[in-house]
Amino acid sequence: MTQEAPPARECYEEADLLEAIERCFDLGWTDGLPVVPPVPNLVERFLSQTSRDPNEVIWTMSQLRRACTVELAAINAAMAGCRPEYFPVVLAALEATIDEGQPGVGGWQSTTGGGPLHIVNGPVRTELGFNCAGNIFGPGFRPNATVGRAIRLIILNVYGIRPHELDQSTQGTSGKYTLCIGENEEESPWEPLHVELGYAPNESLVSAVHVRSCEFVDHRHSAEPHHILSDIALTISRTGTGAHSHMRAVVILGPEHAQALARRGLSKQDVKEYLVEHVGMARAQVRALGRSPVSLTQAPTEEDRPGMFAPTVHHADYEDDGAPDEFLPMIAAADDVLVVVAGAPNAGVSAVGHPLGLARALPGRAMVDAPMSA
Amino acid sequence: MADVILLERRGVPSASICTEALKASANAMAAIQGMPGYRYAVIPHPVSSLGDDEIAERAKLALPQVLDILHAKVEAP
Repeated sequence: MTQEAPPARECYEEADLLEAIERCFDLGWTDGLPVVPPVPNLVERFLSQTSRDPNEVIWTMSQLRRACTVELAAINAAMAGCRPEYFPVVLAALEATIDEGQPGVGGWQSTTGGGPLHIVNGPVRTELGFNCAGNIFGPGFRPNATVGRAIRLIILNVYGIRPHELDQSTQGTSGKYTLCIGENEEESPWEPLHVELGYAPNESLVSAVHVRSCEFVDHRHSAEPHHILSDIALTISRTGTGAHSHMRAVVILGPEHAQALARRGLSKQDVKEYLVEHVGMARAQVRALGRSPVSLTQAPTEEDRPGMFAPTVHHADYEDDGAPDEFLPMIAAADDVLVVVAGAPNAGVSAVGHPLGLARALPGRAMVDAPMSA
Repeated sequence: MADVILLERRGVPSASICTEALKASANAMAAIQGMPGYRYAVIPHPVSSLGDDEIAERAKLALPQVLDILHAKVEAP
């Protein structure tokens, strides 16, 4: 359904509710699921959660000449099914998504079709009930389900990046409906992500990474760090992620894995450095995939304006004459790996998120403003 | 598509080349940029997986279209 106009506050009586839900479909304001009609008094309740001017522009996508204001964000958060008190988190999630830099360089329109993974840290997780433990990527928790959905509705409805039009996804991913997790700070052996990034433990932060998919790593037969991390490194190394000489990875460690690693004395930094050393493949394997010309290029320079496509430039004059058994690393630096701990401590299961290219920031980040009522 | 239309607006004669598979997003972007129906060269998909000879074939298909577009008068709105 092509969208006829951007969402606006519609006036409906309660008796018209079912008709209003259908009207939102007719107007092209949905992700395919029913939305909550953005009746004026509901949108007002969202706007009352922030001191920001409803007309304040959060970000303009210059190539589309479309901007999201605080009011448009509130309308879409209401439609996504958020409770009004989630609104400061929605604003932070949107700003973190922008901060990462992908939307400005076409990440939302990419053929590999990913979307933002949002990671919530700090007290707001427990205050609002974000799921940080079992089934983090699955259904059942309103904050996770609706905050991520609000960002997707903003991408669809405000920026107009819709499938079969500006969204060029070949296959897309179910994570485009919502992909919002809380870090399991309570069962992590390490400092939480927001503290690692320089924020205070009592501050709340949303981090964002554009991922093309998240993939499980089932490793429950050994608690040896090099076994666990080799399995994770193999998953990251796979050609599906790109097999470029410069790429990034998000590692969402289940608490069981994280605790096993910490028990043997590994820090988060140790995990990152291990992966820098071990993510990659032998030159012969890269050749077998026919990827040498696009894979073995130099790092993007300042002049290349590091962005999503810089590492995929085909170097026609590249001489692939190295030794077949030479190991070719794919991650340049520890800062290109993001490690978070989430999930239930009930099995040796972790996940790897595959980011798109080299965005401006890893991760994008934005603090959650304290609620107005606090 | 957006870049090419912005160049046209600055008076720089420009032509965009697009594969069949990406026409939908090209048309959508042209409409957003205020130039619905903006003409561009169309070649078969794909491009990125082709060898040098096949790329040359694509170029042969694109060239006359590009020249035609560059020689045509386009009124920027």
